[in-house]
Amino acid sequence: MKTLAVVVTTPPYSHLTTSALTYVEAALVAGINVIGVFFYQDGAMHANKDINIASDEYQAIEHWQQLHKQYQLPLHICITAAEKRGIACDSIDNDQVNKAFTVSGLGELVELTSKAARLVQF
Amino acid sequence: MTSSYTEEKSDLSSNNGLAIINSKAPFSSNNGKDALDIALIFGSFEQKVSLFFQGDGVYQLIADQDGRLVSIKDYLKTFSAFEFYDIEDIYVCQQSLVNRQLDEKFHIDDVQVLPSVEFSSALNRHQHVLRF
Repeated sequence: MKTLAVVVTTPPYSHLTTSALTYVEAALVAGINVIGVFFYQDGAMHANKDINIASDEYQAIEHWQQLHKQYQLPLHICITAAEKRGIACDSIDNDQVNKAFTVSGLGELVELTSKAARLVQF
Repeated sequence: MTSSYTEEKSDLSSNNGLAIINSKAPFSSNNGKDALDIALIFGSFEQKVSLFFQGDGVYQLIADQDGRLVSIKDYLKTFSAFEFYDIEDIYVCQQSLVNRQLDEKFHIDDVQVLPSVEFSSALNRHQHVLRF
C-alpha cells in the first residue's frame, strides 16, 4: 500500500500552501493512501476558524475542509504551534479550532512518519 | 510513482529513519527551535533521527553563543542533551563552514564535518527528510 504523510509549515495565506493542496489532492485522486497532514509552524494557523481571507483570494482552509470531508483526510495541528499563534486549544467547548482539524502533538508526527512510506514537507 | 515506492519499508528501524536539515541561523527565526522539538520527540519515542546542519544552519553549532543577550531563550543549550535522547548522528556541511569562515569549534561533541559529497550521501541514507 502506498502511504503518504504530509507536513505543512506555511500559513493559509501563503501561495506555497496552494502547492501543498494541489499535491495532496492529486495524491488522493491517484488512489494513494494519504494517512494524514500535519500542520506545523505557521501551518497551524489553518485551524483558526476566525481567519478571514478576502473572497476573491484562494481559500486554502476551505480546500482542506473539502479534502477532509470528501476523503476523510486526517488533518492534525500541532498544539504548541497553534497556541503560540493565538489559537486556544485547551478549553473543552473550544469554538476557535476549525472542526475539520484535530488538535495533536508532535507525537502524532512520529506516528505518521513511522507509518508512511513517504513524508513530504511544504 | 516509481516501483521503488512500494518496495520501501515504512518501518523506521530498518533504515536510518528521519533526517532533519537545519538551514537557518539560530536567533532570527523559530526554525532551529522547531526542528529541535521534533528531534527530541523522535528521540523520546526511540525513533532514529539524524541532524544535518547546512547553510546558515551551521551557526547553530558554533560555540560561545548566548541567545539571552538578544532576549531569546537559549535553546542551543539543549543540544547537549542529544546523547540522552540517543541522537548520535550529527553532520555538518564543511563547505558551509568554509563559506562563512567559521572554525570547527562547536558547543557539542561528536559532530561530523563532511565534504559536500559525503554530506549528501549521508542524507541519502535516510527515508524521510524534514528541512527547517
